[in-house]
Order: sequence, then C-alpha cells, then structure tokens
Amino acid sequence: MPVIIHADKCNGCHGSNNPPCIRMCPGDLLMKDSKTGKILMRDPAECWDCLPCVKVCPQEAIEFRLSYQLGFHTARLLPHIHDTRDFITWELIDTKGDIDKFTIRTKILPVELDEKVEGVAPVDFSI
Amino acid sequence: MEQNIIETDILIIGGGTAGCLAAVEVRERFPNLSVTIMEKAHIDRSGCLAGGMNAINAYLNPGETPESFVKYVRFDSCGLIREDLVLSMSELFEYCVKKVEKWGLPILCDEKGNYIPRGRWNIKINGESLKPIIAKAAKNAGTKVLNWVVASNYLVVDGRVVGAVGFSVRNGNMFVVKAKATIIATGGAAGVYKPNNAHDAQHKTWYCPYNTGAGYAMGIRAGAEMTSFEMRYIGLRVKDTIAPTGTIALGVGAPQINSKGEKFMATKYAHIGGDGAPTPYRSHGPLQEIKEGRGPVYLDTRHITSQQARDLKSAFLDMYPSMVLYWAANEIDPSKEPVEVQTTEPYIVGGHTQSGYWVDVNRKTTLEGLYAAGDVAGGAPYKFVSGCWAEGVIAAKQAGEYAQKNDFTEIPASLVHKEQDRAFAPLLSFTNKKDGIKAYDMEVRLQKIMEEYAGGAATYYEINEERLLVARRRLATLPDQFKHIIAEDLHELMKAHEVIDRVYVAQTLVEHMLYRKETRWPGYCTRTDYTERDDEKWLNFVNSRRDPDTGNIEMLTRPYVQIVPGDRYKPR
Repeated sequence: MPVIIHADKCNGCHGSNNPPCIRMCPGDLLMKDSKTGKILMRDPAECWDCLPCVKVCPQEAIEFRLSYQLGFHTARLLPHIHDTRDFITWELIDTKGDIDKFTIRTKILPVELDEKVEGVAPVDFSI
Repeated sequence: MEQNIIETDILIIGGGTAGCLAAVEVRERFPNLSVTIMEKAHIDRSGCLAGGMNAINAYLNPGETPESFVKYVRFDSCGLIREDLVLSMSELFEYCVKKVEKWGLPILCDEKGNYIPRGRWNIKINGESLKPIIAKAAKNAGTKVLNWVVASNYLVVDGRVVGAVGFSVRNGNMFVVKAKATIIATGGAAGVYKPNNAHDAQHKTWYCPYNTGAGYAMGIRAGAEMTSFEMRYIGLRVKDTIAPTGTIALGVGAPQINSKGEKFMATKYAHIGGDGAPTPYRSHGPLQEIKEGRGPVYLDTRHITSQQARDLKSAFLDMYPSMVLYWAANEIDPSKEPVEVQTTEPYIVGGHTQSGYWVDVNRKTTLEGLYAAGDVAGGAPYKFVSGCWAEGVIAAKQAGEYAQKNDFTEIPASLVHKEQDRAFAPLLSFTNKKDGIKAYDMEVRLQKIMEEYAGGAATYYEINEERLLVARRRLATLPDQFKHIIAEDLHELMKAHEVIDRVYVAQTLVEHMLYRKETRWPGYCTRTDYTERDDEKWLNFVNSRRDPDTGNIEMLTRPYVQIVPGDRYKPR
C-alpha cells in the first residue's frame, strides 16, 4: 500500500479535472472518483514509491506508506514544502513516535491546480 | 475513437532525461523547426528522474579529461566500449550541467563557488526537483507536448522512419505523428525478470518500473540493429528497498563485508581494484560470498558519525525517500549497524551498461531518419543523467540537420490501419470475448521463464546454452498468445503493450546471451559453459537485427575500436 489518500484532507483541488497529483504520477495510477470528486489509487502494487504526488499535494492529503513486508507500522515520512519553495522539510517519525526533521534546499516550481490536455474532454479523466 | 494527425519537424519519443534536453537543443539551434514530445505519462515527473537525483555521476572533476573518462569507463566495462561514443558524450558534460544549473538546479558548491566532488566523476546536487526543472525548460523552449500518449510503433516508409503512432491513455484517441526526423528516448527496460519484491512491493525496483522497453521493441520490430543486450545491468543495491548504494559507498567510504566481517572485495579482488573493482565485479563478488555460505553481505557503515548518518539520510531524501522511512520503520541506525545489500533483477539499459540501438557517433541508428539518445541508445555505458543529456544534445543537432534537408512523407492509410488494429486489439478482445489473458498474467509468465531459464536471481544470474535454449523455446510461444490479451480500459491497454514490448526485448536478449560464448562481465552475464573472458574471439560487439518480415533474429559482430591508448583493464 505505498500511497494512501486521506479522503478527509483531499478536496479534489476545487473541482480540478486534472489535479497535480494525477499529473505527477509517472505510472498513471491516480484518478478522480467522479462521484466524490476525490482522488483514488488505481493499484497500489504498481506504485514505484517515488513520491512526486505526495510532495505536490497542496492539502498534504497523500501519504507515503512503506509496504508492510518492508517495514513496521506507524513509522511515517511527511514532506512539508516551505512557502518560499526553496526548502523542503521532511518530518520522520519512527515506530516509537520519536520525531526527526531534515530541511533540504530545493527549487519547487509552482504548479497549476488544473491543466488542459490536448483533445480531451473533462469527462475522460473520471472513472 | 478519433484520430489526431499531427505534423512536426522533429518528433521526440519519451520526455525524460534525454528527451527534454534534446527538445531544448533543437529549439535553440533551429528556431524554425517545430518539436513535439510524445510522452506516456506527464513530462513534469515522468521517467527515471521522477523521485529526484542527489548527484551528477558523470562529470569531469578538476584534473580529469574526456580521455581519462574513457579509460575509466573502459576499465569499468571490462575492456569493451564504443570509445567514440563515450568521448563525444563526455565532451558535453560541462555544457549540459551548466545549462541545467542555469535553469535552477541547486548544485552543492564550496565557499569559492566550486562544485564539491564526490569521487572522480561525481558532484552533489539537491535534485529533488530535477525533473520538473528540465521539463519546464523543454516547455519554455516552445515544445509541443503530448502527455499520456503511449508510442506503439514507428511509421516506416521505404525504410525511413517518418514518425510514429501512439494512443492516448486519457481518451483512447490514436495519434499519428508525421515527422521529418525522429529521436527515440524512451529509456531501458525493467520487469523483464522477476522483481526483487512481491505483492504490493513488486514495483519497489531501482529502475523505473514504467520504463518497459518500448523504444527497444519498436526498433526491434522495425528491423533496427541492436547491440550488447547481453550486458545486463545487475546492480548492488540496499536490501529490500533496492536503493542505490553509491550514496553510501562513495558518500561515506563504506567497504563491502561478508557475515564473517571479512572485506572480501579488498582481499579477493585486489588485483582489479578491490572495492573499486569494475561495477560487474562489485555485484559478482558479493554473489559468490552468498553462494558459498558467507552471506548476508553488507556495506560497512559502522565507522560513520551520527552527523554523517544524518547527511546520508538527507542525500537519500533527495532521490530515494523510502530508504529513510525503511530505516525508521526497522529501527536501523546506519552508524551503528552495517547496511545489508543485495543484487537487483537484471535490467536492460544503455546508461549504466550498454544495451540499445547501434548508433554512429551522431547517434543516428541504422534506420534512416531515426536517432537515439539516453538509456535506449547502446555502446556508451556510464552515461547516467548527464550522459543522457549529452546524447540528447548530440541527437538533436543531427536530427535537426536531417530535418532541414528532408521533407514529410506521404503515409499510406493501410500502414496506419494496420497499427491501429494491432494497438487496440486488447480492448476489442475484451469487448468481444471477455475471456483471455490479462497483461499481468503474461508479465508473470514472461518473468518466470526469464527468471528460471535465462539467468535470474534464483540461479545467481548464471546461464548456460541448454537453459537458454529452453528460454528461447518458451518465449517463442508468447507472440502467438498476444491475440488473447484483454484490456478493460486504457490503463490496461498501456499495460498490455508494456508486456508485449518486453517479450520482444526478452527474445532479443536471449539470442544475445546465447551468442556471446565467453564471460566478459561476471555477475552480469556469467556463463557456466564459457567461464573465462576471451579477448581473442570476443573483443567485439554482439549485435542483432530482427527481420521485420520473417521475425527471424540475425546475429552479427561489430569490431571494437581502441581510440584512447593504454591498458584496457586499468582505470587510469
């Protein structure tokens, strides 16, 4: 279960047809639920654990989870992008609940909440 | 289903590491030429760089030259590389790195503003956003981007590649892109062999699992000459996460040790550089330890300080964040216990090893109008990110010149119809028959054959003639089964083509491994029936060409040419 979506935090990027998380997945694994407007993971077994969807979500609604066969439960890794977009702070929580933080320089480019796709009607994005 | 017909001067298939740089280069050198990228995902985060990078691993640090680089790469690849290709790419490292730095990539510098070296060929970067940075440059250059269009085949008219056909995973439209020149930059192939992890971690691979050999397969189907598939890449990686080990081995100077604490590389492989032995030996060495009962094998990090351990974690967060979560979730502190390592599934790549299109120094393939760059191009190992950029630049220059002199070609409707039928067949099969083979089922079948008969991890990657002949026979049945593949939706249609493409790659790979009757790269291609390196007979490239009409794969050799003088088995 490499990526989970916290439905309480996901707002579907305000009705966006093509939200950033869907665009950033190199495996075409995220899609929009046409009934709820929220994001769904198509197949956890296809996830590469690369995290662009996690980092790009404005609501921090997508969380990376290590497959249980590889690591014990309750350890978490939460990236927080600084407002200035030139730093990212990774919050690392181990199985005992101890927190460690890593702040690293980067250059996050601004992303639009929606993006048109050539020759595609909005309905084609949904399931 | 609609057909979108697009005309573009230059078509680039694959908007990854090499493709984005190629697009920018064409637009800068030839502002009159239009450029279109056909990309199966979205170029902002597609391909190998999706997760980021923490180093540029092919760069000439102070004191190094293109010639010294060739000597090292030749040593690292056991004496056999295309020196013309490696020279021409290394001459462009500086140009490419400076360019991408200008676009905004943070590169670590000392107080004087010089890049901080990590070994002879590496510099450290904060490359978490490397892919969006180069994608933006491609877009800013005026490139037309077709996101979510999966390339299925070239359009070949009178032996010349005049564009390509693809389908959209968003709306099922067929894209017919007519081009004066085409650059293939789709990367290599993962998932040909059984992956290291199963169940919901099956894609916890080192190489991008969405790189499934499309560019190789399109070339194989069109009769392009391919080289060195038998030089599989089997990397030494961190156990379970399959994370790169260079960050640890080079970053903090960690030697390999076995379960007895012996530094086996330093003792048994001292004559070829110990822990600095050629890359295949750094996989072969630990495999022998495990085989002979001295596993597990580790990178010994117990000498590092807690600050160094933190720096190590920071470096992984820029490239492979799951490594850091793995340590936290398993209560592992790399400064207190050594890091266990294992070898990967065999990947077919042209950027670490040298499997791919046989190209000339201008990156022109053996097909007229087609150029290759990055992991899909053969003969030039040790490319990594910056070498892929350099090849994109070289291919762009030549493809641009070709496009200036050649016009569009009329494409027979029958050609498009034939590909349309082939490309969409799995969807129709589902509609008409329901019962059939899922892409995943064929993937597992392919991986089982390759794993058990063509040198998978279970047999320590070793191969012999008899096993390979079984693999050849079993693989031969798969193409007849393609007509039974069913796809319920467009995502599954993409998956169907991903496995079909890998079958073509696997068949070519088996022929290559059968043909090279020596062991040049222990670990990568260990033959138990020809255990030694044989420079007298095999100091040449093993190439293949599949006849598009009969499907027969013809094997041939091409001579090695030494350009840079010196002992081919010495790193300097």
